[in-house]
Amino acid sequence: MGNKEKHTIMMVSDFFYPNFGGVENHIYYLSQCLLNLGHKVVVVTHAYENRSGVRYMTGGLKVYYIPWRPFVMQNTFPTIYGLLPIMRTILIRERITIVHGHQAFSTLCHEALMHARTMGYKVVFTDHSLYGFADVGSIHMNKVLQFTLADVSQAICVSHTSKENTVLRSGLPPEKVFVIPNAVDTAMFKPAVERPSRSEIVIVVISRLVYRKGTDLLVEVIPEICRLHPNVRFIIGGDGPKRVRLEEMREKHSLQDRVEMLGAVPHTRVQPVLISGHIFLNSSLTEAFCIAILEAASCGLLTVSTRVGGVPEVLPDDMVVLAEPDPSDMVLAIQKAISMLPKIDPQVMHNRMKELYNWQDVAKRTEIVYDHALKCSNQNLLERLSRYLSCGAWAGKLFCLVMMVGFLLWQLLEILQPADDIEEVPDVIFPHQCDEEEMQQKSSIE
Amino acid sequence: MDRNLAHNSSPPRTRWRKVAYGGMQPGYDDNHTDESFLEGMVMNASVVKRDILKVMKDSVSISEYLCIVALVVLVWAYTLSSTLDENSLLFIDASLLVSGFLILLFTQQKLSLGLLLHYFLNICFFITSLYVLAPIYQTLTRSISSDSIWAVTASLLMLHLFLHDYSESTVKAPGALKNPALTSCISVNASVVASVFIASRLPSRLHVFAIMLFSLQVFLFAPLVTYCIKKYSFCLHLCFSIGLMAMTLSFVYMLHRFLFALLLSLLVFVNVVCPYWLIKIQEYKFEINGPWDEAKLCFDITD
Repeated sequence: MGNKEKHTIMMVSDFFYPNFGGVENHIYYLSQCLLNLGHKVVVVTHAYENRSGVRYMTGGLKVYYIPWRPFVMQNTFPTIYGLLPIMRTILIRERITIVHGHQAFSTLCHEALMHARTMGYKVVFTDHSLYGFADVGSIHMNKVLQFTLADVSQAICVSHTSKENTVLRSGLPPEKVFVIPNAVDTAMFKPAVERPSRSEIVIVVISRLVYRKGTDLLVEVIPEICRLHPNVRFIIGGDGPKRVRLEEMREKHSLQDRVEMLGAVPHTRVQPVLISGHIFLNSSLTEAFCIAILEAASCGLLTVSTRVGGVPEVLPDDMVVLAEPDPSDMVLAIQKAISMLPKIDPQVMHNRMKELYNWQDVAKRTEIVYDHALKCSNQNLLERLSRYLSCGAWAGKLFCLVMMVGFLLWQLLEILQPADDIEEVPDVIFPHQCDEEEMQQKSSIE
Repeated sequence: MDRNLAHNSSPPRTRWRKVAYGGMQPGYDDNHTDESFLEGMVMNASVVKRDILKVMKDSVSISEYLCIVALVVLVWAYTLSSTLDENSLLFIDASLLVSGFLILLFTQQKLSLGLLLHYFLNICFFITSLYVLAPIYQTLTRSISSDSIWAVTASLLMLHLFLHDYSESTVKAPGALKNPALTSCISVNASVVASVFIASRLPSRLHVFAIMLFSLQVFLFAPLVTYCIKKYSFCLHLCFSIGLMAMTLSFVYMLHRFLFALLLSLLVFVNVVCPYWLIKIQEYKFEINGPWDEAKLCFDITD
């Protein structure tokens, strides 16, 4: 439809390089592909140690590291209005047309979206994770999300399960929520040139070793599989508080020669580890999308995973074996995967993954969401306040108050530092030659 | 507007599938929502239908303990007004100790002679140290005005009642595995401090010893005794509680009309109004479960 129109997009999240994870990856690849499509993209995140100020990345991707220190889990301290002046300056300087926030527990993202709405910008939000409805943390998180999403133009979720979850948590109409999955850089995750021999079957696990990733399930499953199949070996990459339990299990069942523990694996080293195995095992207890499965499938590994969250939507049924998060069912699934193994050709699987997922497709679909967002009608403060008011008996009034104070502060800033006084950034034309190899190079530097 | 766009797109050819792979599905927008949306959602799956009679029966243990505390306060009041002398107090102490032991003996099967001896030794130590410490308690709060003491004691008792563990006993029977929660420990400590404050207002050393022994016996061991009775037979527990309530109410009536009305309305509130209220607000219960929930492990993790 309107892809002639070029946008100037501000990606905002607490999570970006040099930090590493699914969200960071998503923002980076999406930005690169949007740049390739001719849009202008600016990333805003908080300062990482001494990395503060403006940096340029591959393809002219401009990154603002706001000098605002993270206080817990890479999140900035929530000050509600503290970021308004700098956000306003960046929005005006860069002539932003769309603000795109990522991740529900990024405070920077929530604040930026709120200010952008106060200033009348069109706002898109991507939710990367799932939340329950029962515990105290989730209840508060959901209220904050409801506040932010009460007024977003469009929202994006990474899987259909995530969409259902977001709609329930925030009360957004479902037609405003788009499902655009993550993708995988298939050039970076290629299968081994030589097919690994099948005399010994290697099962690879790469995840943080924490409760939510189901490390306790592994503790139950691994000894059983080792007992049933003498030719199976495990390679476990990752670190975390549950590592001790895995090591205890290894000692208890004397499996030191069959379970190799690598410790934390940097992202660039993931592919070599993956291609040394035949089966990838994911034991997560909750997962909105699970990029790890994509990376493994792209390397030609057969995946065994727990059937949680958005995982069943990620791969076609013949590329993954799903099991309930229960040790006995997982053992059965692994046995089924071992019996399926002779029929799996890593190269064929890799080629299929190339067709199923690529970042260019994600960028094009995101572009459509931006077009939708820009077509949303402008609303004045009173119309927007009525939406906040409907968020809850007490919360609604509180949200309205927050928005009104924000509006007044913005008006004050308009007087103190008129928009005309803020210098606009000249458009620097970078040669568009960011192909996949260069992106791969970039990530290997990171 | 979104609807219009959806209508403009080419008519659907293949069926829409709930999958994330393979790019945009031809003929469908990314915000396509069909009837399969939220089909995995389950509402109020684990909600238990409560029966009002059962809730009322369960709330009896709360009013039972309320009465016990009211009785303790009564004894304090009579001692402070010198209606009860130290000899009768010591007599009450001894009879409580013996009856408590007898109840434990009948309801607990695990008690043996060795254990009884062990208990007896402990209690001797306890009583001796309390007797030795009595002069300290007596002079502990001499420099503080009585009004402050009453106020602090009243608030400590309120705290004790609010944080008390009504379902179990903080002082465990021998061999119990679970440690008590922090709140119930705070509750026990509040009651002990309140007893010390009251004891410090008394005229003689023997008074202080007798009242301390009485208060500690009740606050520390009454929950254990009532818990044992409840576990032994629920019917006995009901009878015991109702008897206790009647006794307390009659004693309070003799002391003061207004306090009687207060206690009576409190008991009615706890036993009738609260259970009804709980059943009533159950209608508003709204629990959502679905595929996004974190999976529960079906085995125990022993760390």
